[in-house]
Amino acid sequence: MIRREQEPAWPRVAFACYLGVCACALVWPGYALAGDRIEPFVLGLPFAFAWTIGWVLAAFLGLLVFHGLAGPKDRG
Amino acid sequence: MSDSRIVVGIAAVYLVACLVIGMLPGRRASDSAEGYVAGDRTLGPLVMFFITGATIFSAFAFLGMPGKAYSQGAWAFMVLAYGAFGFIPFYFLGPRAARLGREYGFVTQGQMVAHRFHSLPIPGVMALISAGAFVPYLAIQIKGAGYVLNSMTQGAVSEQVGGAIVYGVVLVYVLKSGVLGVGWTNTFQGIFMMVLAWAMGLYLPYALYGGVGEMFRRIAEERPELLRAPGLGPDGAQGSWGEYTSAVIVTSIGFSAWPHLFMKAFTARSEATIRRTVVLYPIFSIFLVPILLIGFSGVLFEPAPAQADQILPHMLMSIELSPWIVGLFCAGALAASMSSGDAIVHACSSILVRDGWITALGRKLDTHAERRLIRYLIVVLLGASYGLAFHYEGSLFDLLLYAYGPVVQFMPAVVAALYIRRATGPGVLAGLVVGVSVNILFAVCPDLRPFALHAGLYGFVANVAALALVSAVTRREIDGEERYLAVAAGDDVREPSS
Repeated sequence: MIRREQEPAWPRVAFACYLGVCACALVWPGYALAGDRIEPFVLGLPFAFAWTIGWVLAAFLGLLVFHGLAGPKDRG
Repeated sequence: MSDSRIVVGIAAVYLVACLVIGMLPGRRASDSAEGYVAGDRTLGPLVMFFITGATIFSAFAFLGMPGKAYSQGAWAFMVLAYGAFGFIPFYFLGPRAARLGREYGFVTQGQMVAHRFHSLPIPGVMALISAGAFVPYLAIQIKGAGYVLNSMTQGAVSEQVGGAIVYGVVLVYVLKSGVLGVGWTNTFQGIFMMVLAWAMGLYLPYALYGGVGEMFRRIAEERPELLRAPGLGPDGAQGSWGEYTSAVIVTSIGFSAWPHLFMKAFTARSEATIRRTVVLYPIFSIFLVPILLIGFSGVLFEPAPAQADQILPHMLMSIELSPWIVGLFCAGALAASMSSGDAIVHACSSILVRDGWITALGRKLDTHAERRLIRYLIVVLLGASYGLAFHYEGSLFDLLLYAYGPVVQFMPAVVAALYIRRATGPGVLAGLVVGVSVNILFAVCPDLRPFALHAGLYGFVANVAALALVSAVTRREIDGEERYLAVAAGDDVREPSS
């Protein structure tokens, strides 16, 4: 059995921390403290709605960056 | 041509197109259970993307989400959150599962877990839990399809007959083509739904209020409570942050544990295909935004529908719209129902045969007999779901949350199998049984919960605790464990040539 060389852990740790921040912003307490209001409207959407979409996009971008940097080497 | 004939004509053309697209791949797949269940492991990135997208774009998305936004406002935002995060664990789990599937020939999630622990009861328990989650969900797809056909024919076709017609088409192409038929129809239906979602999501606020911004300004003046997180509860009072947060956590963890997602990982052509699918998956979440706009556009709409889940078809049939638009919408809603229903019925019957009949009960079947049994079960499951469909009266959204309670219990078992060396078969089995029991207890008797949190979260915590405890006291070396974990990790396990 030939073990492949272990890939560095830091991209995963950094990605997990980033996702943790995004996730906290979408549930209590992050959402309740910072995102729960109607105004200002953003592109016609109430703030609480735009807040959710913004963090979903942030998580998507984070995943794209992680995939670009570590994806080919990451073995799951 | 009269308006109703145009509407029905569009739906009829759509159903025939699904039938043709769904049946063609059946000519290419090998005549084996492997070809029928796992598509001979040939699914490429485009088909893989849409077949997994169908998990979120179901009748629930087209009918349940607008209903939730209409009746409970910001509570419906949770779907965006779990849609964005829920598939990320699969970025890591999926490639491991795919490697194991190629090496050992797995086609179901239960086989994968059972092989690691040499346990026969585990796949049997997982098959039962899967059926408990899948059948009611399939029933809602059938009910949704029946409702759409009933609305578009203005009552000429009953919900029961409508559901039977649509799922008759699904039955034909799933029986004929297996997973390849599901994949190609999901691709066709997924593109169709995305176009429809944006068109209707932008058109309805414009037609009723003059634009999205104006619509929300009016709702902010007249119903501001709908635009504040976490929205309203089912009783119309202010929603609970505990319920909202725990529902997001349970659905986000449970999303990557659905058994049919693993079956799709086993069908993928490569690990890169799985990773690319996960990376692009949040696009489906973004495509849910216009569906929420549709729901909000109904908030100030008069007259109100009889049920919140009926808000979209109710508005379409109440305002002056071109029959071509109504017809296309109805075909889109059918697409949403069918693309989830076909994948679910195919997955559920394959799991019951492979994990329940063959692995847990130890029955021997040759490949053609297995394929035949899966087909019989597809008919049985559709029949059972059809019967259930017209007895269920709750909301589609709440049913979805119910389904995640059992499904999230699979995650500890999957992670234990793929990563944790100290986990044992009795530990995983104890976790599954305890987790599902706690979930059922609190789902049936919500007043017993210490705090107002999703029943699945209590089950999940109990599951992890039972798995850890029982594994600690039953730990022993398991044959083949080293090799299994090495294959999962992508190590080269071939014997060196002398």
